Amino acid sequence: MATSKLQALWNHPAGPKTIHFWAPTFKWGISIANIADFAKPPEKLSYPQQFAVTATGIIWSRYSMVITPKNWNLFSVNLAMAGTGLYQLSRKIRHDYFNEEETAALKE
Amino acid sequence: MALFKAFINSPVGPKTTHFWGPVSNLGFFIAGVADMKKPPEMLSGNMTGVLCVYSALFMRFAWMVRPRNHMLLASHALNESVQLYQLSRWAKGKGYLQPKEDKAPSST
Repeated sequence: MATSKLQALWNHPAGPKTIHFWAPTFKWGISIANIADFAKPPEKLSYPQQFAVTATGIIWSRYSMVITPKNWNLFSVNLAMAGTGLYQLSRKIRHDYFNEEETAALKE
Repeated sequence: MALFKAFINSPVGPKTTHFWGPVSNLGFFIAGVADMKKPPEMLSGNMTGVLCVYSALFMRFAWMVRPRNHMLLASHALNESVQLYQLSRWAKGKGYLQPKEDKAPSST
């Protein structure tokens, strides 16, 4: 019984033999790379790139709920992208715009 | 005029989510172009490498998905080119692409 269910999954038209499975699955790599980059100093982060990650994540989260069939895998991966992107943006903005006051105060 | 109307009303046109999802992916390409003037030390090897694999997979996805999405294919083709270029800049900056005799022993 379990094997026939597994077989059904394996042979699914959006299953692991197809690009419909691997492309969205690999998209997790973007969030994983971003999480690895949480350790990077904010000076090395890229505003354009993080903005692209965040915006894409938000837009595609909506896209995945509007297509037929609804794609929860695509939804979750894009939600994660938006989340990691927003966090990286907040790190860089905090460093660029809110640390200046501290360093200026220290210099005085 | 008729061509323009046909585009506006197309099943993958700007009234649909099949259009705006791919447009948001152009964000990665634009971010990549903006980052071309950055010194290689500022580039993230993690993110650039992941984006190279990601766009390659999604070029295939865009071709196989129904309706076939040429806009998505084009946005990922553009991103693939710029990310591969950035990856080569990052690798050269790290000393990975030098001939073996010239490679400095302390490069990481």
